[in-house]
Amino acid sequence: MSKRKFTAIYCITVTIPFLMLIFPLSEIGNRATPLVFGLPFSFFWAILWILITFTALLFIYQIDPANREEGDQ
Amino acid sequence: MPHWQIALVIMIGYLVIALLIGVLAGRGKDSSSLDEFAVAGGKLGLVVMWFLMGGAVFSAFSFLGAPGWAYEKGAPAFYIIIYTAFAILPWYIIGPKIGKIGQKHKLYTVSAFLKQRYQSKVLAMIVGLIALLASIQYLATQLTGMAHIFNIMTEGRIPFWLGGLLAYGIVVIYVATGGLRAAAWSDVFQGLLMIVISWVVGLAIVNQLHDSVGGMFTNIVTETPEFLQVGAEGSNMGKVSFTTTILVSVIGFLMWPHLFSKSYASDAKTIKKTVLVYPVFALFLIPLLLVGFAAKGVVDPGMLDSPDTVLPFLITTVMNLPGWVYGLVGAGALAAAMSSADAITHSASLETTDGIVRNIWGDLSDKTVLLIMRVGVFIIGGLAYFITIFGGQGLVALLLGAYGAIVQFAPGVYSALFWRRATATGVVAGLVVGTALNFYFQLVVVTTPFEIHAGILGLAANIVITIVVSLLTKKQVNAEVEDYIRAS
Repeated sequence: MSKRKFTAIYCITVTIPFLMLIFPLSEIGNRATPLVFGLPFSFFWAILWILITFTALLFIYQIDPANREEGDQ
Repeated sequence: MPHWQIALVIMIGYLVIALLIGVLAGRGKDSSSLDEFAVAGGKLGLVVMWFLMGGAVFSAFSFLGAPGWAYEKGAPAFYIIIYTAFAILPWYIIGPKIGKIGQKHKLYTVSAFLKQRYQSKVLAMIVGLIALLASIQYLATQLTGMAHIFNIMTEGRIPFWLGGLLAYGIVVIYVATGGLRAAAWSDVFQGLLMIVISWVVGLAIVNQLHDSVGGMFTNIVTETPEFLQVGAEGSNMGKVSFTTTILVSVIGFLMWPHLFSKSYASDAKTIKKTVLVYPVFALFLIPLLLVGFAAKGVVDPGMLDSPDTVLPFLITTVMNLPGWVYGLVGAGALAAAMSSADAITHSASLETTDGIVRNIWGDLSDKTVLLIMRVGVFIIGGLAYFITIFGGQGLVALLLGAYGAIVQFAPGVYSALFWRRATATGVVAGLVVGTALNFYFQLVVVTTPFEIHAGILGLAANIVITIVVSLLTKKQVNAEVEDYIRAS
């Protein structure tokens, strides 16, 4: 995979969850109920997308071509 | 021994340890090296780097402001964890690039980075000046936090000026002697302390006041469900305001000189790994938000000087906790404020030296530059101290005010990395107009159209002007233009 393509994948992967947390899309999670794990839904929504981003980043790091070139950083 | 004395002893003990770690960290390194002082020789490891970047988020703002926002505004306080998690992400792409460029051209600052690419002293001086002003504003918020903490935890016995002087004085000393390495190692200690304290104390408060987290939110949902929704009827922050505040924080974050310059302090792998584990920091803030919600309905707003004092108020007045808890929370809050203040003081001195002093007085030897940077730490520290003692405003408002100006660096920085056609005239014009607009909407008129954040209004104008003026002026052909684009 080329660096350029990787950069594009990276940008898309992190932008999607971000858009879920700002308006207009965050409207989906912008509600008090139901409570999830004792947290209001809006709070849970924010934490959920942060966790999804964290997990996605761990995968992304694995496919980053720059990390495969031995001895080159 | 009364509570406040135990608290005082613990906080002083903490300060002594912080000073020792800071001063010892710089020992054994080449103290006459500019490179060591400015970027720790470019060799910071993952753990240190993570706490150094994290310390910037875990500031007096998060330790006192996060509970304050949750208590006062409710759901809009989620903005704090959202921006913490996302603001770091562009660094994965631009950090290694900036690091490469920095190594090649021997750069330590944002102003030098822009000066080299655009070949413009004027640009470097404007950036240096904005960085200095914004840093002082930011430092003022941290200092206010430190002073408040001393004052409240000792039940008013340590006056405002003395608490600020003690805590910040120590920061200035270890930064001036040990440079970035001292700040970094202090941040590791302070970061660990803050995380442990916020979880232990945060959850203890929730459980004591409300039995459980679920029980607490069930109560809020029944009584005031709109409190848990952004922009609902009766909520005091609108959706546009919420969204643009997040945007300005996310775009502005990496433009802060103390964070931007960390790209020079490590290699590409470390930068990328730091980004990977960074969102965890956002989750560390959760108990601080819970504390704010726990105070809702328990603490009468009329009893607080400002919502930012809700956490210390709960501990000292409402809950009657033992003195050592006073002391721990005091130490945690001091750690939060100090781990931000050290990095900012350090970088403000670097930016002022690189951006302003070096461009007025021309060629200076490395030795002289290093001396100016060390002295600068004391001067900037003193300035921030006096402004804090004689100024005043809510913590959050101050921080956002400074943020609005810093975000205006973004078009110049991103153009340097990705757009060949950008010219010095374009970037300077955009920066000046953007900054002016931001200050106009922040200070002169109080309301903005559609509640859009003043920084975003400035940024929109900034981007348009940067592009238009760049296209109207002659293309720059210096070798650095290609260098910057191709670096990776």
